Amino acid sequence: MGIIHLSTIGLLIDIFAAAILVTAVLIVSSRSLVFYIRLFALQSFFLGAVALLVVLGYGETHILIAAFLTIAVKAIAIPMVLTRVIERIQVRKEIEFSINITASLLLCAGMVILSDSVAQSILSSQHGDAPAVSRVLSVSIAMMLIGLFIMMTRKKALTQIIGLLTMENGVFLSGLSITYGMPLIVEVGIFFDIMIAVLILGVFVFRINKTFETISIDSLRSLRH
Amino acid sequence: MNDTFEMILASAFQLFLVLASAPLISGIIKKTKARFQRRRGASVVQPYFDLAKLLRKEVVVSPVASWLFRITPYLVFASTLVIALLVPTVVTPVPLHWIGDIITVIYLFALGRFFVALVGLDTGSAFGGLGSSREMSIASIIEPAMMLAIFTAAVTAGSTNLSIIVARLSSTPVAMLNPAHLLAFSGLFIVTIAETGRVPVDNPATHLELTMIHEAMILEYSGRYLALIEWASQMKLMVFLALLSNMFFPVGIATTWSPWALLVGSAAFFCKIIVLAVIVAVVESTNAKLRLFRVPEFLMVAFILSFLALILFFIIGA
Repeated sequence: MGIIHLSTIGLLIDIFAAAILVTAVLIVSSRSLVFYIRLFALQSFFLGAVALLVVLGYGETHILIAAFLTIAVKAIAIPMVLTRVIERIQVRKEIEFSINITASLLLCAGMVILSDSVAQSILSSQHGDAPAVSRVLSVSIAMMLIGLFIMMTRKKALTQIIGLLTMENGVFLSGLSITYGMPLIVEVGIFFDIMIAVLILGVFVFRINKTFETISIDSLRSLRH
Repeated sequence: MNDTFEMILASAFQLFLVLASAPLISGIIKKTKARFQRRRGASVVQPYFDLAKLLRKEVVVSPVASWLFRITPYLVFASTLVIALLVPTVVTPVPLHWIGDIITVIYLFALGRFFVALVGLDTGSAFGGLGSSREMSIASIIEPAMMLAIFTAAVTAGSTNLSIIVARLSSTPVAMLNPAHLLAFSGLFIVTIAETGRVPVDNPATHLELTMIHEAMILEYSGRYLALIEWASQMKLMVFLALLSNMFFPVGIATTWSPWALLVGSAAFFCKIIVLAVIVAVVESTNAKLRLFRVPEFLMVAFILSFLALILFFIIGA
């Protein structure tokens, strides 16, 4: 603390939070699986940066490990695994939607407004001066909603994973913004959970593709035949 | 009396600056693109020769064309000139800043576009109508995107007057790094690409019937009419680049009319404009033109970016 001024930290947190929100929205606007993965990697990287800034600005050293884990696991390892899966299954890399991109983007804008009003009502019950990082609460709620939206409307098994991970990033960010992160043991648990989940889901996608020759979740209904 | 004279002089300077340097900016973009294609490319002053040649050439007008066809080039040129008077370039405030704010600028652009679209229909050629319909469907998305992006800057400064926005922002440099501001900038950058008919949306260099939008509408023009329209679209590009650079990064802009401030202002302005022009050229060279049905999605991204900018302004605050 003290090396960098708190208002500078606040400004940087704002910029990275905005970047995180933009990557989440750009994921919704994109058509290619490769872009999904790259944007997710970028998003996790920005999230790690926000966590590092919380360490720098508020002296919460236990988040340091979580920040490095975010960058190592979510920004590097998971994208690598998913890229591997895409290369191996050689599916059509174009995403199918149940709601088209233009309408999805408008819905996302609505979700951002909704999450802002929710966040405001949560923050208004707080006592005293809110620190800069609590302003990103609405971004984190918006990310949970957008992640859920991706899972609902994008029809590839891999996009389900990306949606889930986006939601998880939102949860981590909300933890950061309200309580400067969860206890370390919880964070580490979540990271292992996510890592294993992605590995298993990757294998699942591989098997789904082998059985149905597509990873579109529509054909999962024909499982009983 | 003296005041009026000074005002006229200052406005003339502003007009001359935009009029004279607009073809140069377009030349720089063409040169950069040529370099990307490993060609030597025409000289950066080639657009001046093109305009001079077109101004000397005879005008051919279709016998079915109405009076609209003849007045539109002057109208488009004049409306762009008025915009050039309103947008701060080297100095802020511009001498005539009280005649209209940013909403006037948006509607002056719309006025020019309206008449060009009508002319596309006027001569009855199939391509003209095609171009007009495409231009209008694209405009219906980029106009709100542009408004939202500009309103973000306007709420930051607390005024819709361009000169005041620029002046307020140049006195508070931290506001330039506001995330809402950065998002609005990227939104307006996409709008610039679409409005000036640049590559992912339209291709200014071809007359390919499947893809052209702006060129399709002005296909029937020749001679000095074409020169006026081309010059107006070069000025439009310049004005957009000026908006991008001065409304979001008004670094070094002159606030007085002293010679030294003017010199620094001009240097800063042209550096920023040239950097932006090169960025536009890089975007043009590294992207393929989008399929027409994908264009609304791309423009929707601009709309959402501007929209998020405005929301973020209220979430995160100034």
